[in-house]
Order: sequence, then C-alpha cells, then structure tokens
Amino acid sequence: MSMLSIKNLHASVEDKTILNGLDLDIKPGEVHAIMGPNGAGKSTLGYVVSGREGYNVEQGTAVLDGVELLELDAEERARAGLFLAFQYPVEIPGVSNMEFMKASVDAQREARGEAALSSRDFLTMAKEACSKVQLPLAFLKRGVNEGFSGGEKKRNEIMQMLLLEPKLCILDESDSGLDIDALQVVADGVNSLRSDDRSFIVITHYQRLLDYIKPDFVHVLSEGKIIKTGGAELAHELEAQGYAWLTGDSAENTAETSA
Amino acid sequence: MSTWLANAVDRGGATNDWLSPKRQQSLELLQQSRWPTRKTEAWKYTSVNMLVDATFAETSDGIFDAPELIDNLDSIDLLLVDGVLRSDIGDLPSGLSIYSIADTPIEQREWAAEVFTGAKPSKHYFGLVNDVLATAGVLIDVAEGVKVDRPIRVICRQSNGCESHTRILMRLGSNAEAVIIEDFAGEVKSFNTGFSEYIVGESATLEHYRIAMNTGEAISIGGCHFNLNYRSALNSTVVGLGSSLSRLDIDVNHIGEYATAKLNAFYLLNGSETFDLHSSIEHIAANGTSEENVRGIVADSSRAVFNGRIHIHRNAQKTLAELNNRNLLLSRNAEIYTKPELEIYADDVRCAHGATIAEIDKEALYYLQSRGMSKAQAQIMLSFGFINELVDQMPNQNLAAWLRPHLRRRFAEMESTQ
Ligand SMILES: Nc1ncnc2c1ncn2[C@@H]1O[C@H](COP(=O)(O)OP(=O)(O)O)[C@@H](O)[C@H]1O
Ligand SMILES: [Mg+2]
Repeated sequence: MSMLSIKNLHASVEDKTILNGLDLDIKPGEVHAIMGPNGAGKSTLGYVVSGREGYNVEQGTAVLDGVELLELDAEERARAGLFLAFQYPVEIPGVSNMEFMKASVDAQREARGEAALSSRDFLTMAKEACSKVQLPLAFLKRGVNEGFSGGEKKRNEIMQMLLLEPKLCILDESDSGLDIDALQVVADGVNSLRSDDRSFIVITHYQRLLDYIKPDFVHVLSEGKIIKTGGAELAHELEAQGYAWLTGDSAENTAETSA
Repeated sequence: MSTWLANAVDRGGATNDWLSPKRQQSLELLQQSRWPTRKTEAWKYTSVNMLVDATFAETSDGIFDAPELIDNLDSIDLLLVDGVLRSDIGDLPSGLSIYSIADTPIEQREWAAEVFTGAKPSKHYFGLVNDVLATAGVLIDVAEGVKVDRPIRVICRQSNGCESHTRILMRLGSNAEAVIIEDFAGEVKSFNTGFSEYIVGESATLEHYRIAMNTGEAISIGGCHFNLNYRSALNSTVVGLGSSLSRLDIDVNHIGEYATAKLNAFYLLNGSETFDLHSSIEHIAANGTSEENVRGIVADSSRAVFNGRIHIHRNAQKTLAELNNRNLLLSRNAEIYTKPELEIYADDVRCAHGATIAEIDKEALYYLQSRGMSKAQAQIMLSFGFINELVDQMPNQNLAAWLRPHLRRRFAEMESTQ
C-alpha cells in the first residue's frame, strides 16, 4: 500500500493551469526529493495537496494512507497526517508560538479522540522540540514567526513537524537561505522522524540537502509534471548540468526566459 | 444646557475652593456652548440624549465593584469612589508627592492651578463640565530626575445610581520617569467624567494607561491630555470596553521639539455598547514623532467611533506622524465610524494614515488550518491575536498578564453572541 498516491493531478490558479497530469507514488518510509526549475509548480503541488484555497483541482486524485485528500478541508488533511513545511512561513503577531502549537496538537489529538494535553506536558514536549531545532526557548513565547530570520522560520517549521508527528511531510525548500549549521539542524530534525511508517517529500534546489537527507528517489518537476525520476545520483547530475537537457530548452532560451 | 447639567452646576456652584476662579472661567465657556447634539461635529455619531433629563444620586449606597488586585504590579493605589478619595496617601518613594485635590496644601496650589486646563483644550464640552464639578481627584508631582519605580494606579469606581467627576493633574519634572494607570471599571447605572492632564517635563518619560472598562449602564465620558516638552516621551495605551455610552478624548500637544508619542488603543465591543474615541495630536514644535495604532473588534449591534486628528503646525518641520485604525467586524449589525483628519501646515514632514475595516488574513488562516485547527478556531485565534498584538506591546507586562484573561473572556462572549 502507498503512503501517498497522486494520480493524473491537474490543477489551476486563477484559470492558469499549473499542474498538468502529475503522478507520484510514495511508499511508507520513503524519502522522495523533488527538484525542478523555478515556477515549475513545486510549491503549488504542496498547496494543492494540503488544501489551500484558490487552487482548483481539475482532474486526478491524491490518496494519503487510504484517505482521499482532495475532498477534504485543509484541517482535515492535517488531521489525516499531512504536514507542509512552508517555503514562506506566515508571520502572525499577537499569537504566541506556544499557543499556536498547542492548539494545533490538541486539535489533532481531539480528532483522534484523545484528550487535550495539559499545559505542563505540552510545555515539556515543546521545550524538547525547541532545543532539537536549536532555537532558544524564548521563541516559544514570541509571536508566530514574528520577526524571525529566514533560517529561524525554517527551524520553526521543523519544530512544528516534530510536535505533530505527521505521516507524510512535505518540505518546501526548507533548506533555502540556510547556512551549513542550520542545514544540519533541519536535516537532523527530519532524520530523527524518519521511520518505516512515515514518508517525506523534500522539495529543494540543492543537492547539498540530500547529502544529509538521503532520498530514495529524485524527481524532476517541470511545467506541472514529473518528467524524470531517478535515484540519489540524479540530484548530482542536475546540480552539474541544470535542467535544460531535460526540458528541451537550450541554455540560451532558459537564460532569456529567466531574464 | 440640559436639565441634568443645570442642576449639577447649581450644586457645583456652591463649591468654593482654591480652583474656583478657574472653575468660573470654564462655567462661562460652558454657558456660551451648546449642549451637544448629533449636529455637533464632535458628537456626530454618539448621542448624549440620555443625559438630558438624567438624575443621579448625590450620595452613594457605598456598594461598588471592588478593584481587582493585579499580580506582581506592586502599584501605589489611590481609590476614588463616587468622586471621593478613599485611600490614605501613605508613604511614598522619595521625589514623588501626591495630594488630594480636595485637600491641597497652599504651597502646591500655584503649579497645580497651572496644570488645570493647561493641557486640556476648552473645546471638550464635558471637559468643561468636569472643570466645574470635579472636586475630587489627585495631584501627582514627580521631582526632577526622579524615576518612580512603582506604577501609580488611580482607581475610579461608582456605586449604583451615582454620579462622579474626578480629575488627575500630574507634573513630571525634567528627566523624571513614571508609570500611571487610570483604572475605570464597573457596570452599574452611573455616570462619571474622568479627565486627566499631564505636563511631561524636558526629557521626562511617561508611561500611561487608561483602562476604560466601564460596561453595562455605566456612562463614562473622559479625556487624557498631555503636554510634551523638549525631548520628552509618552507611551500610552487605552483599553476600551463599551457601555451604554463611553467616550474618551485624547489630546497630545507636542509643545517642545523632539518629543515622541506612542499611542496604542484597542477596544472590544459587544451587545449594544458604544465606545467613542477621539484623538488629536497637535504637532506644534519641530522634530516630533507620533505613532498611533488603534484597533477594535465590534460584535453584535455595538458601535465604535474613532476620530483621529493630526494637526501639524507651520513650525513643526521634520515631524513624523503615523496613524492607523483597523477594525474587525464580527456582525453585520455592528457599526464602525472611523475618520482620520489631517491638517498639515509644514512642508517638510512625513505623515501617514490609514483606516480599514480589517479582514482575517487568508494566508494566516490557511497556515493555522494546515496545522489541524478548524477554520472557526483559527478565526478566533487570529481575531484575538489582532488585539493581543497591542497587549504584547504594553511596556508593563504584569498589567498585560492581568488584562489578557479579561479580554479573552470578553472575546469569548462576543463570539458566542454571533
Ligand atoms: N496565486 C497565483 N496566481 C497566479 N499564478 C500563480 C499563483 N501562484 C503560483 N502561480 C504561478 O504558478 C507557477 C508555479 O508556481 P510555484 O508552484 O510557486 O513554482 P515553484 O515552487 O516550482 O517555483 C508559477 O508560474 C507561478 O507564477
Ligand atoms: Mg516554490
């Protein structure tokens, strides 16, 4: 059985088709890396699967551990075990990180029929997660992502992932803007959660992250679909050669479009 | 004049105290002014009709909502009930002097009489009423260079059916620092006017709070007025709940150059409450800054009025003035009237203003839902956060910690009426 099975997914934003017949099958315990040029639809994939408003699914299915996701509200998908680490985590001044995370954990516990955690028990868990991602404990009290640096925001996402213990984690460029030490922290966070019954999609531009988080498969996403799949070695090839040889664009054309 | 006021003035006219000459001037101004109606610009959205024939008791039954203790605040408390100072003024930190207006030593009267109507403009009708009738209140004097480390909390309470008029007059010497909390609460049928005036000396710092938490049938009309001298700093927070009629006028006068004012105000309104806030920042001297953030959440059939005036005078070059008002409407029947008013006569200034009916941020909503929270729960968390952001900014976090559960409770009530 698959942990996540996406079949023939077509999705659009504001009448613009972004995902164009995407297929992806992930078994429990696997790590899949997704690479691809800017604007390929990588973040869109995360948003569509997690249920962001404004993204219209035109065709296809996405099934998480037996649950059809695309019919559900965002919170129901989260409760089914999906987690998206945002490329751009949202700042919410006035809501403390602690309050936000406790409410999230409790909402998911409630959905499973479990009692809410006591403040004390949660605090213990949160402190542990916080030190795991090497954020000072003061970050628990601060407004959600408020005034955090780019790297701190990414670590805060990983902290949430540690607390929520999802079945499927999608990490959207969790490595961008990180220095080597922070990269290690993010990778350690992910690796500490790796298990036979948990899977990961790691969206990244850099093969560097994949040195720390060893993928079982590497996919290239371009123009809304997977155009190539390989093993970890594919990431090295992409790092060396870029995407043009796959997308059929000459290097010149690529330069022009990105200019 | 209304019947109520004519009677009140008759009673007040009998008082003869050290402020009588000043009171007489205000009485004359009052007699020349018209009782405010909806045609009066300053009262366009809030009616004071209920006061026309109102009657209030002169003496109290003595039962009032006892003030709450605030954990770790360690404040110097001054309790005024129905316009009578109940607290003894005990031992005070050195450099701080406090006197009862009803019992002011002769040698303090000269400066105090200068503060009286020294910061409050005469345009406020009920300010004039307070001038005439406020025989109760306190004078607070902080000597030059003195940093008072305990907050001063002036607590005003009314008992059922009573009317009261109180005044705070405060002077901070140069380089002085102090924290003042004006604490108004209570819900029984009553009427209070509470006006305060502050003269903030050169390079002095005033941290100010007006807890405007009268609710229910407690009518409250008041004002806080500040004169900021050279390089002085004001940080003020207004916390508002609404009642059958609650009105507050804030005036900040940048008298000296390089003065800074930060004003945060927030209100949570429910039922058929009204909260009417007017602020007026007078940038008279150059190089001053003012930053004003006003936020409200209005539920049920309540109404919020905010009028934010910024007046930059000809000589107030290099002024930086910002004003922002954001409101969240929880119900279709709630009403918000918001109006920025800018008058700018200097050319080298920066002035920004905005007033919006805010909506819950969609991206933030999705973020919370993507973690498993229901949409309804996420909305509540974000709405409360919208106000709590300003609570977080309160310099006194002990006061903030006391306030938060009150606001949460109120917010939960507001949600449940939707
Ligand atoms: N809200 C939107 N409205 C219009 N176009 C959008 C919107 N969001 C994304 N897009 C477009 O969809 C394409 C894919 O974006 P995205 O998924 O963010 O790419 P990637 O993450 O691979 O860089 C881009 O061309 C982008 O401009
Ligand atoms: Mg992206």
